[in-house]
Amino acid sequence: MGETVTLTIDGRETQAKVGETLLQVARRMGAAIPTLCYHPAVSPYGACRLCLVEVKVRGRTRLVTSCCYPIREGLEAFTQSDRVLKARRGVMRLLLARAPESPELRKLAESMGITDPQLPSVTKGKRDCILCGLCVSVCNEVMGAAAISFSYRGVERVVTAPFEQSSPACLACGACAAVCPVGSVVLEYDGETVTVEPFGNRRPALRCRECGALIGGKGMGERVAQQLSGRLTQAVDLCAECKRKISAQAICQAGTAVVAWPALPEGVTER
Amino acid sequence: MSSPIATIGDLERWQDRVRQAGPAAVQVAICMGTGCMAKGAASVLEAFRREIAALSDGPRIEIKQTGCHGFCSQGAIVVVSPPEVFYRDVRVEDVPEIVRETALQGQVIERLLYVDPVTNKAHCSPHSIPFYARQRRLVLERNGITDPNSIEDYVAAGGYSSLAKVLSEMTPEEVIAEVEKSGLRGRGGGGFPTGRKWRSCREAPGEPKYLICNGDEGDPGAFMDRSVMEGNPHAVIEGMIIGAYAIGAQQAFIYVRNEYPLAVQRLENALAQAREHGLLGSNILNSGFSLDIQIDRGGGAFVCGESTALMASLEGKPGEPRAKYVHTVEVGLHGKPTLLNNVETWANVPIIIARGADWFASIGTEKSKGTKVFSLVGKVQNTGLVEVPMGMTLREIVVEIGGGVPDGKRLKAVQTGGPSGGCIPTEHMDAEVDFDQLWELGSIMGSGGLIVMDEDTCMVNVARYFTEFLLKESCGKCVPCREGLAQVLEVLTRICAGKGREGDIELLLELCDCLDDAALCGLGNTASNPVRSTIRYFRDEYDAHIRDRRCPARECRGLFDYQIIAEQCRGCGVCAKECPAEAISGERKKPHVIDQDKCIRCGLCFAACPFDSIAKV
Repeated sequence: MGETVTLTIDGRETQAKVGETLLQVARRMGAAIPTLCYHPAVSPYGACRLCLVEVKVRGRTRLVTSCCYPIREGLEAFTQSDRVLKARRGVMRLLLARAPESPELRKLAESMGITDPQLPSVTKGKRDCILCGLCVSVCNEVMGAAAISFSYRGVERVVTAPFEQSSPACLACGACAAVCPVGSVVLEYDGETVTVEPFGNRRPALRCRECGALIGGKGMGERVAQQLSGRLTQAVDLCAECKRKISAQAICQAGTAVVAWPALPEGVTER
Repeated sequence: MSSPIATIGDLERWQDRVRQAGPAAVQVAICMGTGCMAKGAASVLEAFRREIAALSDGPRIEIKQTGCHGFCSQGAIVVVSPPEVFYRDVRVEDVPEIVRETALQGQVIERLLYVDPVTNKAHCSPHSIPFYARQRRLVLERNGITDPNSIEDYVAAGGYSSLAKVLSEMTPEEVIAEVEKSGLRGRGGGGFPTGRKWRSCREAPGEPKYLICNGDEGDPGAFMDRSVMEGNPHAVIEGMIIGAYAIGAQQAFIYVRNEYPLAVQRLENALAQAREHGLLGSNILNSGFSLDIQIDRGGGAFVCGESTALMASLEGKPGEPRAKYVHTVEVGLHGKPTLLNNVETWANVPIIIARGADWFASIGTEKSKGTKVFSLVGKVQNTGLVEVPMGMTLREIVVEIGGGVPDGKRLKAVQTGGPSGGCIPTEHMDAEVDFDQLWELGSIMGSGGLIVMDEDTCMVNVARYFTEFLLKESCGKCVPCREGLAQVLEVLTRICAGKGREGDIELLLELCDCLDDAALCGLGNTASNPVRSTIRYFRDEYDAHIRDRRCPARECRGLFDYQIIAEQCRGCGVCAKECPAEAISGERKKPHVIDQDKCIRCGLCFAACPFDSIAKV
């Protein structure tokens, strides 16, 4: 580990660590590569195909998805070749046909030079879902809840809770909603209940103990508390605003900059 | 039961013993392949048992159950030797006569013989039947001869000798070198050099290594691998043991679809026999090498024939492919180096070891060695399984072996390679069939499907049919395959409905480009072949649909007319009665007429006419 290799991206030579993906390295170099199913918090899935780039291997070029392409010594990649841009536009047109009303998709399509939907809508997702799989991955890999997954096959494919019934495994943490690139997933509150739509996962809601704002599900609070210790557990049922307020008060009272909450572990950045 | 075979000497002594037992005076071989079973082979077998048990004296008659003969349209097939007479379409009521006349007296029953539809000649011996005479059977050689449920039968024919040779005389390196030298390429569709794949897997770091037999044959109408698993399961198993020794695997899997219950049953039986005789398990033939093979049944998803989807399925996950930027020979099943080959590839391995790489490489073309099994179906006289040397022309396969197109129709195209293969038109019928030639013609070898199409087949509709199949079988993971195929199907459907637009062909080609370049796995990458190849060779048919609203093959409903042939019409009035649009008129016993303005082209009259007096024009 820690071994570095030299590769060329769009004619510029660079060095990168073995284990990094082509997307990570190319973006670090400033290459504009659109993605929908990629998120640094989860393992790459390679389904949306927007991150296609051209690579040259043993003299032959081919298109690969940069999000899951492992870099290697001597690799030569082109992120903006005609073939790449054509393929990306082709994929984008297909996505736009599926969810022509999605503002997020329209914006991305526009940035790629596609203005109006050119193909008819022949498939339809729930609430513009494009089946990128980020919600499934974050629920499974990051939250460890696995409350949703893909069901059915082909054009019938859909993300659901098991048996399409409200899942007790759902923490109503909202991670799925946070990572969704097209806003398909939302948390809807109704009294003391929160429903994660479009999966129909109904769970008891969690309120901020200071201001009473609704901040997800009770299951999330319990799960987070289990995994934390000491004074951090005290922050579990606080909304972001109240956390800041309490932190600020602590600083003012101490008359100096104290750290109200411990610093984030190395390698983790706040988004 | 004999004791386990612990050494090579034991195996040789066992082979001598089963050979000495020798064949009975008369042998009745009954095909127990799925095709013949469907035509009542099990009842025929029972009838033979009853009939022979009732005999008081005479020669010893042995009943043998065999695997598929390949000539499935002729089932149930029974071969009586001597005089090795091939009976077709045998039913329970024929059995007493066969025993009395043929088994006991060597008389041939004419009415049960195969009559060649081209020459009208009756054939006694299977070897003289044109369907078999032009074939070169290596993988299927023992298929109609040995009993798939008997390891003794396999051993008597020299079975497991290749394994013994490998374990006693060859290093794993030498085995790989031999397979490389043979030029064998993967029979599952990709045509990757088998020996090179084995070498990569052997050299890949990581333990343990796994070995897989891909028995997830999913092309509609294809049954090559099923017949090999059902008809000669020990050959597949022997090939796998040799492969495992070569790469250093101790655990192997056979992934076979659950729709193949007979294949599963015969493989299970064969594995149990191999274990019982010490040919599987620990320290095989005292060589220090150990292996076990287990069967995993798949749910029958077409995409699970793709190696990474298959491995995901084996791991208990949904059968979805992943990018193969790191090959499965390095990171495969459970993240370990994994060697996957398909059934036919494995069945070739013992043959190569037994007869030598040079002999094997002498068959076939420069870059495609050996033979290939095809399932020959569609508009052809003789449907069934055929095995031919690589390089035979399409014409030889379709016309000489297949007997050509029935009913005097004209041959139009041959579709090769399963649903994601391409359609090759008649002008290329003299092309030599091998991996590279088919690729150049815009098709693929695939696992060996061969569908013959005649003049009544609409090529746009063919493309639509296969696209629909692929869309249904797409896992739905990646955008180009899921959304792109849905768009392709939309366009093809409207063209077939007479609603095509100018620019639709260009749109189809653009969508095909996207599939080729951007789809995740082989299913999506090859899904454009049916569309591309039909546009390449039959663009005029597309144009006729789009511009003239006509289907030249008269297959797409609404895009051709029905007309009553006055000379043939007897005036029975059935058509007029059936017509929902009241478009047909005429006096009784006089020729009727269709009013084309009223006709809605539903085809009910055509189906109803008892005198075939209505023509599609």
